[in-house]
Amino acid sequence: MPKTEEVLFATEDQIDEYTDQSPEVQTEKYLIFSSDGLMYGIKAEQVKDIITDYSITYLPQVPSYVKGVINLRGQIIPMVDIRLRLGKMPQDNFCGIVVDVDGNMVGILVDMVEQMVDVPLASILPVPTSSTNQAMVSGMCTLPDGHTMLELDCELLLHD
Amino acid sequence: MGSGNDSILDMYLYETNTLLEQLDGILLTAEEADTFSEDSVNEIFRIMHTIKGSSAMMEFSSLMTVAHRIEDMFFIVREKGMDVVPEQTRPELFDMLFQAVDFFRGEIEKVENEEPLSQSIDHIVSKINSLIDKIQGNPGTPDSAPAPEAEQAPAADEAADAANPDYLFGVHVFFDEGSGMENLRAFMLLNGIKDYCGDFISAPENVESDPTTSDIIADQGFLIWFRTAEERDSVIPAVQNGASVREYQPVDAAAPAPAAHEAAPAASIAAPAPAQEAPKAGSAAPAPKPASAPGQQHAKESLISVNLAKLDQLLAVVSEIVITESMVTSSPDLKGLRLDNFTKSARDLRKLTDDLQDVSMSLRMVPVSGTFQKMNRIVRDMSKKLGKKAKLTLIGEDTEVDKTIVDAIGDPIMHIVRNSMDHGLEENEADRVAAGKDPVGEVILSARHTGSEVIIEIKDDGQGVDTQAVLNKAIRQGLAAPDHDYSQKEILNFLMMPGFSTNTEVTEYSGRGVGMDVVKKNVADVGGTVTISSEWGKGMTTTLKIPLTMAIMDGMEVSVGESMFTIPINSIQSSLKVTAKDVIHDPAQGEMVKIRDNFYPIIRAKELFCMEQGCDNIEEGILMWVEAGEHSYCLFVDELMGEQQIVVKPLPNYINSFGVKNYGISGCSILGDGSISIILDVINVYAAAHNAYGAF
Repeated sequence: MPKTEEVLFATEDQIDEYTDQSPEVQTEKYLIFSSDGLMYGIKAEQVKDIITDYSITYLPQVPSYVKGVINLRGQIIPMVDIRLRLGKMPQDNFCGIVVDVDGNMVGILVDMVEQMVDVPLASILPVPTSSTNQAMVSGMCTLPDGHTMLELDCELLLHD
Repeated sequence: MGSGNDSILDMYLYETNTLLEQLDGILLTAEEADTFSEDSVNEIFRIMHTIKGSSAMMEFSSLMTVAHRIEDMFFIVREKGMDVVPEQTRPELFDMLFQAVDFFRGEIEKVENEEPLSQSIDHIVSKINSLIDKIQGNPGTPDSAPAPEAEQAPAADEAADAANPDYLFGVHVFFDEGSGMENLRAFMLLNGIKDYCGDFISAPENVESDPTTSDIIADQGFLIWFRTAEERDSVIPAVQNGASVREYQPVDAAAPAPAAHEAAPAASIAAPAPAQEAPKAGSAAPAPKPASAPGQQHAKESLISVNLAKLDQLLAVVSEIVITESMVTSSPDLKGLRLDNFTKSARDLRKLTDDLQDVSMSLRMVPVSGTFQKMNRIVRDMSKKLGKKAKLTLIGEDTEVDKTIVDAIGDPIMHIVRNSMDHGLEENEADRVAAGKDPVGEVILSARHTGSEVIIEIKDDGQGVDTQAVLNKAIRQGLAAPDHDYSQKEILNFLMMPGFSTNTEVTEYSGRGVGMDVVKKNVADVGGTVTISSEWGKGMTTTLKIPLTMAIMDGMEVSVGESMFTIPINSIQSSLKVTAKDVIHDPAQGEMVKIRDNFYPIIRAKELFCMEQGCDNIEEGILMWVEAGEHSYCLFVDELMGEQQIVVKPLPNYINSFGVKNYGISGCSILGDGSISIILDVINVYAAAHNAYGAF
């Protein structure tokens, strides 16, 4: 028994050391991408893949913003054009981000993938007005380089 | 340990459900014969014993108590033979047993849903007790068998006989009911006693090493024998303070009573044999069905139960292998090369993957007999309740279908059978006789394979559907237009419209708002169709057609523009090229073509799916003449690419949420070159075109 206790205490001490070292601020990794001049961020843990080389198979009878499906290593994944989804002008995009939303894999077509950033959770601010165009944005945050990141709510992107 | 871990609970539920199903089957056969064969008595005894044991282990006391009582009853029947049950109480006995099965099922369901178990089991227990009294009161049985009420006294007697003549002073100990692990409790008690007196024997022996004794102890109590009365009295405090000891009583073994002599060995044989199964249920042994009891040899092969998710995973991997194999062997890099060895090996590989695929597909196949057998019970119950004599005939029970299909068709079949019993068969026997039919109604349940489909028919010889009444009702409900002429088939289809129920009264069994529309939906979910046919006065037949497997199928690849579509081979009649003058136009701009004295509508895939590319000229493309369900038409596509075995992949949920299934897009598959082909569902393509362009 005493041995176990020792080990137990040692672990707790270590944990304390860790927390002492790192700053108290909790951060979350975000993948930043651009679409129609705006910067959007998706939680990195939701991102499964970034793809550029694929061919989209057209699917009939779906809204125009669903460009079709792709074959990603044997998985069938729908591709959503975020420009069309947000009511913007379409543009030929090839860059796709595959995200996992509640177990559903969905590809999002974006203009360009920019970078990964650590964003302090506290710095994510609520969206001031909920106008229809920003309906899929769940928070905003100013990045170190001065740009403003709009946090994309992937669930809202899929379900109206 | 009641809350236990999930795998034990799973095992318990699995085993108990299997046993209940088995029990149901035995009861139905027995009721028909109006007696229990020796085998079935033993079997019921064993089932009850197992349920009792494992329920006690899981601390489901209501299940345990009821199972225990029934076990008691069958103990008597087993000892005395079926003659002990008087003729007139037999229906009561069967009813009680069926009720008990329902009770068990209800409780198991509660366990599954994590609801609290019922506390009030007095009703059913008192029923069993009164039956036991009746059986015992029967003059045909002079000597008294161990009745549950008198359980303790005879048990003590029996025990007395078992004693060694040198150890005549005993203590009979009972542990708390349902305390579990009685053998270990007994062992601990013995350890405690050793401090006071080391010279004793116990019955049963070897409690610490033999867990099967736990049931015997729970049933009959635990006996400790000492040489002298003083020694015995000295250990009483230890017994008194023993953990979980409910009660104890000193017993003195006199000269063995001859009358009780027979009962004792019988009881001790009876208990251990089935008891072997009980601990197994609780300890979640890896092989759940080794069929340890002798009565269980039949119909049980060497089975193991596997999580369905693992099977699905296996199938998915096998599917990937099949695709990858064809990607490798038809790789464009190999074009123009002469590779004899490679070709040979590739051919072998192909054969092996085909085998692998067949085997893994067959893993999921189960016979429909389980589902069919359940209907026996429904027919029996309803025929009693409604006072209609009826029998159920099963044909092709061993037809095997995919597990998902079996699960999906259970409720629909039950609903249709209920409908047949409730509305189909005539109210009075006299009506049947007047119509020249057998007074006993018949419901026939049959299953058979055709190449790619399983066909399940539920047929009754009742009064059939009054089409006029159906039509009137459809008109009243606004489903049908009053001034339109409907064909017999169309009228019968009204039965499957949501909210339609022909019977004005809601009966206990059918007409609770769940109608044929739900049947149709459930069957459609597994890709099947429902058709009803009926002749007034002669009965009604409901046919379920369900595709056999949905995971891998033979498809014909066709192209429209750059898109590839797959049409299931089994729905294709033929393909044909036509010239512009073969096409007949109707006033609504519909197109038709005449094939072998029949006109078939043409559906242009390009237009239906609003595609940008593809042939417009009917002479450049090709017509695929397809048929499914009751629809037959020609689908106009650009080109025929060839036949291919494909692995069906469901569309992502997100895509399905747009209702593409209603447009005949049922899934997709990955072709050898990695591109995606869309699988068309011929029936829904027709329905979509029908909705888009109006009636053909």
